[in-house]
Amino acid sequence: MMNNTKKRNIICTAILAVIVLALIYFANNYLDAYIVRILNLCAIYTIIGLSMNLINGFTGLFSLGQAGFMAIGAYTVAIFTLPLDMRSTIFYMEPMNPAIAGIHLSFVPALLLGGVIAGFAAFLIGAPVLRLRGDYLAIATLGFSEIIRILLTNLQSITNGALGINKIPDNANNMWWSFGVAIVILILTALLINSSYGRAFKAIREDDIAAEAMGINLFKHKVMSFVVGGFFAGVGGGLYASLLGTVDPKQFYFTLTYNFLLIIVLGGMGSISGTVIASFIVTCGLELLRTFDEPLTVAGYEISLFRPGFSMVIFSLLLMIIVLFYSKGLMGRTELTWDRIFNFFGKMKSKKAPKSTEGGSTK
Amino acid sequence: MKKIAALLLALVMTASAFSGCKKVDTASGSTGTGSDTIKIGVFEPLTGANAAGGEAEVEGIKIANKLYPEVLGKKVEVVVADNKSDKAQATTAVARLIEKDKVSAIIGSWGSSFSMAAGDLVKKNKVPAVGASCTNPLVTKGNDYYFRVCYLDPFQGTVMANYAFKSGAKKAAIIQEVSNDYAVGLATYFKEAFVKLTGDPNSVVTTVNYNTNDQEFGAQLSTVKAANPDVIFAPGNFTESALVMKQARQLGITVPFLGGDTWDIDEFTSVGGADVEGATISTFFDDSAPVTDEGKKFVEAYKKEYPDKNMAAVSALGYDAYLVIIKAIEAANSSDSTAIRDALAKTKDVEGATGKLTFNADGDPDKDSAIIKEVKNGKFTYKDTVTISK
Repeated sequence: MMNNTKKRNIICTAILAVIVLALIYFANNYLDAYIVRILNLCAIYTIIGLSMNLINGFTGLFSLGQAGFMAIGAYTVAIFTLPLDMRSTIFYMEPMNPAIAGIHLSFVPALLLGGVIAGFAAFLIGAPVLRLRGDYLAIATLGFSEIIRILLTNLQSITNGALGINKIPDNANNMWWSFGVAIVILILTALLINSSYGRAFKAIREDDIAAEAMGINLFKHKVMSFVVGGFFAGVGGGLYASLLGTVDPKQFYFTLTYNFLLIIVLGGMGSISGTVIASFIVTCGLELLRTFDEPLTVAGYEISLFRPGFSMVIFSLLLMIIVLFYSKGLMGRTELTWDRIFNFFGKMKSKKAPKSTEGGSTK
Repeated sequence: MKKIAALLLALVMTASAFSGCKKVDTASGSTGTGSDTIKIGVFEPLTGANAAGGEAEVEGIKIANKLYPEVLGKKVEVVVADNKSDKAQATTAVARLIEKDKVSAIIGSWGSSFSMAAGDLVKKNKVPAVGASCTNPLVTKGNDYYFRVCYLDPFQGTVMANYAFKSGAKKAAIIQEVSNDYAVGLATYFKEAFVKLTGDPNSVVTTVNYNTNDQEFGAQLSTVKAANPDVIFAPGNFTESALVMKQARQLGITVPFLGGDTWDIDEFTSVGGADVEGATISTFFDDSAPVTDEGKKFVEAYKKEYPDKNMAAVSALGYDAYLVIIKAIEAANSSDSTAIRDALAKTKDVEGATGKLTFNADGDPDKDSAIIKEVKNGKFTYKDTVTISK
């Protein structure tokens, strides 16, 4: 019996993988650039949402530093993938620092380097501040992300300061890249969460004193979760920079972090599938709601509600409804597994079955 | 039950927000849709941090659309997309305008960073874009499909340097909002021009920085005071700049302050009060003395449409951006995007509200004069027109 469900799950996963690959192939080749762009954004938000959920949802560390990690990854990709011949035009105000002016990396090494630097920054900031808890940690990490932004503004010869960098080669606007990386990070996160480290993370989330009593090295595991989360966010930030084609310090204002906080709270703190679902809902939802921004004329009268900004009102309303009725997010802490899906359909069947017998009895 | 009550409350709240909207919008006319239309896309921040700027530009564009509703015998439809003051949303908004609405040309956006994010898209899809107030040189540099009607940071910086030199200043200090690309650009070119004019490499005695949202400028101002300049050039956001001036006067710094067009807004004088008296700026449009007939026409229409609003200069730029596109469509005699681009590149002496427009090779206007305004009795008043020979 046990073997049978396992076999079924493997087959289902294989089928799903084929379907996803086919869909990506189809979307990449046949859909218009607008939809491809939104889907890419969904994938990138998934990556960063996962990284934030690893830290906040699974390890229970209330961190708000995601924009800082993203900024590091984004700037690494921007600086190192920028074609050499364009550098002098973009750094027109203050020439690029000669130490890095001649270094050009292709996309993958730059992306990985961005992740590594972000991970290292996470280690540097994590070592001192992870001793803090709750609100204090949130403030410290928020401060960290602001420091990164101020550094980017002032290191003119490396980051081009407030002017930002544009003409970043557009690699992530290809669904194989964004979705490929998102799927790899999804699998890595799932493996990590289900390993002994992941169980330790969850133990820390539930009660760190109890976890410590069980022999879990709190500091080591917290830093590990923070560094891995920072690495993922750095990679996500790199993809983000490449998708947009431009970076500037203002875009990494701390409000950027709240987008991802929204995604993980909506999806469920501590649910991988919830994060994936929520990033698609939030990103696609905002685009679908754009219809409400366009003027609508009914029988010659323009309905004044339909004006730019109205979509955001609807969006906030939807968020309120979700939060009211799913106070733990769409998925809570549960995952969307095959067992759950089959159980759900099984229940539907069994619900129907007693009904029919009831109907019979009243006869 | 509690949940339903909360939901109802939320509904009531949003409903009350709608009733507010209604009043504002009944004035604007409806835009009809038909097959014989030419669509011009507009992407501007209409929600979020930069909504005020975006709204002002859209006002100008709408007035232009009202005065010039037709081109080549076809109706011009303006499709507005909100970029939500967010870079990622700016790219999806532009992609939507291009792919879904199939616009012939695009206007936007307030905030250079949003325009920069859209740059690659308009280039790849060969749809020309005209920026209204995006002053960062990187927007049009190396992008054949991006144009703009505002003058750039280098020009404005040079204008103020000339003005400072003309008014007898030999030494200047710079206080710049370092996180603002606009302020940094102005400051850099002010310094370059001022050093050239005075012939003294040390004529800019000190340059100090502050960040957006800073409140306390004591440290920077003491540095400036110690350097003892004749004039202070302090480009930046209006709130911070007004605070800088207030605190400078308290420290006993009496030299005049010069700045950029961002100060030309009511909040600047209301925050600064008597301390900003005498502050001098360069700007591109003065609604009390429009330089062209087109400008007079625009001011008249604006006053009629929004009688109780103070006009922002960017509204005039939005108007000009629309006008330039209409003229290009006329010149190209086609609504084909590539043809419009080629016609835009050849734009010469098109009369706009802010002056005559001629695009150079980068797609920037060759404007050679700027208006100097000074705060007098708590109001910005016209002082001078400075012309720079290139």
